[in-house]
Amino acid sequence: MSKPTRKEIHNKICELLKPYNPKNHPIKESSGIMTDLEVDSVAVFDLVMGLEDFYDISIPMELISDIRTVGELSIAIKELIE
Amino acid sequence: MSNVLNYAASSIFDKYAILQSRVDLMMKIGKDALGLKFDDIVSATKGKIDGREILLAGTNNYLGLTFDDDCMKAAKNAVDKHGTGTTGSRVANGSYNEHIQLEKALAEHLKMESCVVFTTGYQTNLAAISGLAGDNDVIFMDADAHACVIDGTRLTSSSTIRFRHNNPEDLDKRLKRQGDISDGHALVVIEGMYSMFGDIAPVDEFVDVTHRHGGYLYIDEAHSYGVFGPTGCGIAEEQGVLDKIDFISGTFSKSLASVGGFCASRHKEFEILRKVMRPYMFTASATPSNICAALMAVEKVKEGHHLRKNLKTRSLQLHSGLSEMGYDICADASPVIAVRRPNEAVAAMEWNWLIENGVYVNLAVPPGTPQSSSLLRISLSAAHTEMDINTILKAFSNLKSNQQELMARMSARLAK
Repeated sequence: MSKPTRKEIHNKICELLKPYNPKNHPIKESSGIMTDLEVDSVAVFDLVMGLEDFYDISIPMELISDIRTVGELSIAIKELIE
Repeated sequence: MSNVLNYAASSIFDKYAILQSRVDLMMKIGKDALGLKFDDIVSATKGKIDGREILLAGTNNYLGLTFDDDCMKAAKNAVDKHGTGTTGSRVANGSYNEHIQLEKALAEHLKMESCVVFTTGYQTNLAAISGLAGDNDVIFMDADAHACVIDGTRLTSSSTIRFRHNNPEDLDKRLKRQGDISDGHALVVIEGMYSMFGDIAPVDEFVDVTHRHGGYLYIDEAHSYGVFGPTGCGIAEEQGVLDKIDFISGTFSKSLASVGGFCASRHKEFEILRKVMRPYMFTASATPSNICAALMAVEKVKEGHHLRKNLKTRSLQLHSGLSEMGYDICADASPVIAVRRPNEAVAAMEWNWLIENGVYVNLAVPPGTPQSSSLLRISLSAAHTEMDINTILKAFSNLKSNQQELMARMSARLAK
């Protein structure tokens, strides 16, 4: 399987974010996951488990603590895959 | 000048604006669920709010020992003999004989080589997890872990991976994905009974997976010590794997009817952690009265079959009664019974209504709850009687039949 592009990772994050975004806030690269999308801290970690399983990677919690936006999350995942 | 203007334009509290709006919403609906004020606590199951008697069904007083004659006498004697406080840490001021006695009593009860007592349950996990996991170790933590477990992982430089709640297969997958941990070890952290939903871990399966991967298993029995197992050691004892557990932590502030915590280990080398655990070394040790009350309560736990039996009977009674009414309960019957509500505002309104009608339960809302749930969380006590449970059931039945009026009242309050 070829390595996913940033765009593909972004789309996957948007897909997995759906259950945590009942108000349907528009999701952009610059969207703050907890601030703009109002995803609570526990739900962020649930989202991360879904991403770990899809890409078969480990994303340590300490890495997530520094991530604020959807764009930063997709960059972190891309780096872990590579 | 511009600095002055900038200072005036913002505040150090601005970051709490969203939280403040949630609190404002809660206060419009009724009382502050995170700051409830009791006039008095008169027994393990009764208190007073606004001058009225209230049935306590949310205090984690599982064995009801806070008003046990022997525990109270032990605490009073300790004050008479040793005074009110320890005025410092065990590292600086030394240990009282009772600190050592309690550690011995818990180690013997749990059949462990070592036991360390701490000043609070929160500090116990903070200290033990951060002390055990070093730079090269990896912590694998259950997704529904308590805040003190999460905060313990934040005090270390080791990596933390979260696995799906109560799912040994998922842990297995993540341990495999991690592969060999170079110069380090895996520390798997689970709980016996989870505090919010009251669901039970398959500890025996976690033992198998963890040890197959060469890891160490740490179980927090804060809500299960005293409550489960033939001698009250907790879920690991109940499932017959107590001797396979590497580390067991617990608290004095639930079944042991005091304040403090402990971590016990089957590895005698655990003792060295006394020299590294910052939340142990740099805080005042537990007071003589707290320690002596807990020491007496350990004896009560060991012989508390009748307490556990009544607690189980009351749990089944309440669980089946609420189920028959059609309430959505988060787990099978246990001393923690969490009723799932549609959202935070409804749960807050109902919580206030229950208080006004003489029953105190916990309002539990995200992010302190799994699955972003809003809960009316009940914790039962061996001191509850059949009639107490009937009182709780009656209140929940009335709550259901008064839904329309309740929601109308909520809308009116929110519109103000």
